[in-house]
Amino acid sequence: MADEASRGDDELLARIAAGGQAALSELMARHGRGLRTFATRYLGHAADAEDVVQEVFVTVWKQAARFDPGRGRASTWLYRITANRCIDQRRRRALRTFFGLDDIGEEPAAPEANAETATAARQELAIVRDGLSRLPERQRMALLLRAVGELDITAIAQVMGASTGSVEQLLVRGRRALRDHLADAARGRERKSS
Amino acid sequence: MTREEFENNRRRFGDDIDAWPAPLRGPALAFMALNGDADSDTALDRFVRQAALVEGDDRALARKVMARIERGAARPSLLPRFLVAPAGIAACAVAVLVAATLAGYQVARLQDQFQDSELLALAAGAKLPDDGGPAIAADPGEGDAL
Repeated sequence: MADEASRGDDELLARIAAGGQAALSELMARHGRGLRTFATRYLGHAADAEDVVQEVFVTVWKQAARFDPGRGRASTWLYRITANRCIDQRRRRALRTFFGLDDIGEEPAAPEANAETATAARQELAIVRDGLSRLPERQRMALLLRAVGELDITAIAQVMGASTGSVEQLLVRGRRALRDHLADAARGRERKSS
Repeated sequence: MTREEFENNRRRFGDDIDAWPAPLRGPALAFMALNGDADSDTALDRFVRQAALVEGDDRALARKVMARIERGAARPSLLPRFLVAPAGIAACAVAVLVAATLAGYQVARLQDQFQDSELLALAAGAKLPDDGGPAIAADPGEGDAL
């Protein structure tokens, strides 16, 4: 199933390289949401994430011919471009903030933040999002690539330019921190209710 | 969600959490992620995926990307890309350092010229012209009759 999807992506990229706009639209329909989710949660800023995802697909349009299916899957390539653009975007924002050109802090990525406190189930999701936003950048990136991008350890290592061992470490630490955050939140709720 | 509640729900709705009623899925995944079962990492990843999900307008995205491609502008940022890369920042820092050094030499050279002319005037025993520079006091004994 995953292999079929991967072959489909490879074909789409070949068609994009040949100038097929319809193929680009199809690729966006397949991966746009995942890439946007990854960028939004990594950057913590919905507008920046939107800009990054647009840049990614423009880059894909221009450089699809450079994609080599022998070196990895198309989804790994897409997430690699996105991760690099996110890092650039973070640097740009930090630079603008440093020079006082931009003092906007992190913008809530989900506009439904207040409404979601209404139900316990949504509260749980909000706690996970909060926990994610508190993770160190590389742990957050590794965890998002695993959970949102559904990439395996080798692909995450390719995206992040790291060894598989260090990616495993990042995932272990990130998951542990997230579990601690969830457990703390659960204890807090118990204290409130008692 | 306690283990008892989780087991009750599993008996009632089945093993597939996705088939459970929506309000129970999050707490069930949280329970699975926190309770150290064999699949706890998978449960946590699913929980993260659910929590991270961002709604967006896919058609609007496609429209904007196509518009950018047609404009031929991949990057609307005012800052050129190389400026935010480490190599660009280092190059800018070196350029600023070189410019500051050259400017420093220029200023210092002008000051040296002024001091040189003062010292030369002193050595020759002449007064400096009244062009804004401090006048050198004449020798008090100069011109007095012996």
